[in-house]
Amino acid sequence: MSGPTLYAALVAFGVLIGVASGLLGVGGGTLAVPFLTLVVGLSQHSAEATSLLVILPTAVAGSLALRRRRIGNLSLALRLGVVGAVGSVLGALLALALPAGTLRIVFAVFIGLVGLRLVRDGLVAERRDA
Amino acid sequence: MRRSLMLDPKLAAIGIGGGLLSGLLGVGGGIVMVPLLVLWASYGQRDAHAISLGAIIPISIAGIATYGAAGEVRWWQALGLAAGSIVGAQVGAGILARIDERLLKIVFGTFLIGVAALLGAKA
Repeated sequence: MSGPTLYAALVAFGVLIGVASGLLGVGGGTLAVPFLTLVVGLSQHSAEATSLLVILPTAVAGSLALRRRRIGNLSLALRLGVVGAVGSVLGALLALALPAGTLRIVFAVFIGLVGLRLVRDGLVAERRDA
Repeated sequence: MRRSLMLDPKLAAIGIGGGLLSGLLGVGGGIVMVPLLVLWASYGQRDAHAISLGAIIPISIAGIATYGAAGEVRWWQALGLAAGSIVGAQVGAGILARIDERLLKIVFGTFLIGVAALLGAKA
């Protein structure tokens, strides 16, 4: 894919990511990274970097919406995030130091575990809301 | 100095853990922060989601800057996905009340397991 076709596919897949994260609270990254590697053909590192840039505006929009409804504590959340940013820089440096193949396997294990947890939650949650 | 600027060591640890995962894998980190905020720091589910979402803002900025310095960020692909994603999130929130969450989790979870296998096979 290239040019306008690729861009249309990106926007369409973005809608899917948004719907999934709106419904399940599973962030866009678990979907954006495989899409960017398998369909768009980015390297594992570029896909992860680009995924973070998709997550940022989504988190800003979501946080502002929650603040309007007075849910949560944005000031506390931002302070937690500023401390977390130290971890994020270290994590990204570690990723950049790993070969793409290794990083891809680590990512695959991660989303495999997320998938297993969702399936388990889906099977267990049967009567919780009743 | 002021108490309001201090952060509970537990919350700091949760932030660093979420940050590590986010930077390493290009995800939000909510998948570790939300359960830890609920089970370890005793926040309610809804507050934990909100705090995790807000924390992702500085966390993702730091990750983008680090990957950006290495020249890995693809700006226009991100713009396309983000434009769709912001619209999609409104749609997702709108249909949330009318959907079988159990089935959705099972279907989406199975899909992720399949993607994991595909990624593993191609690595």
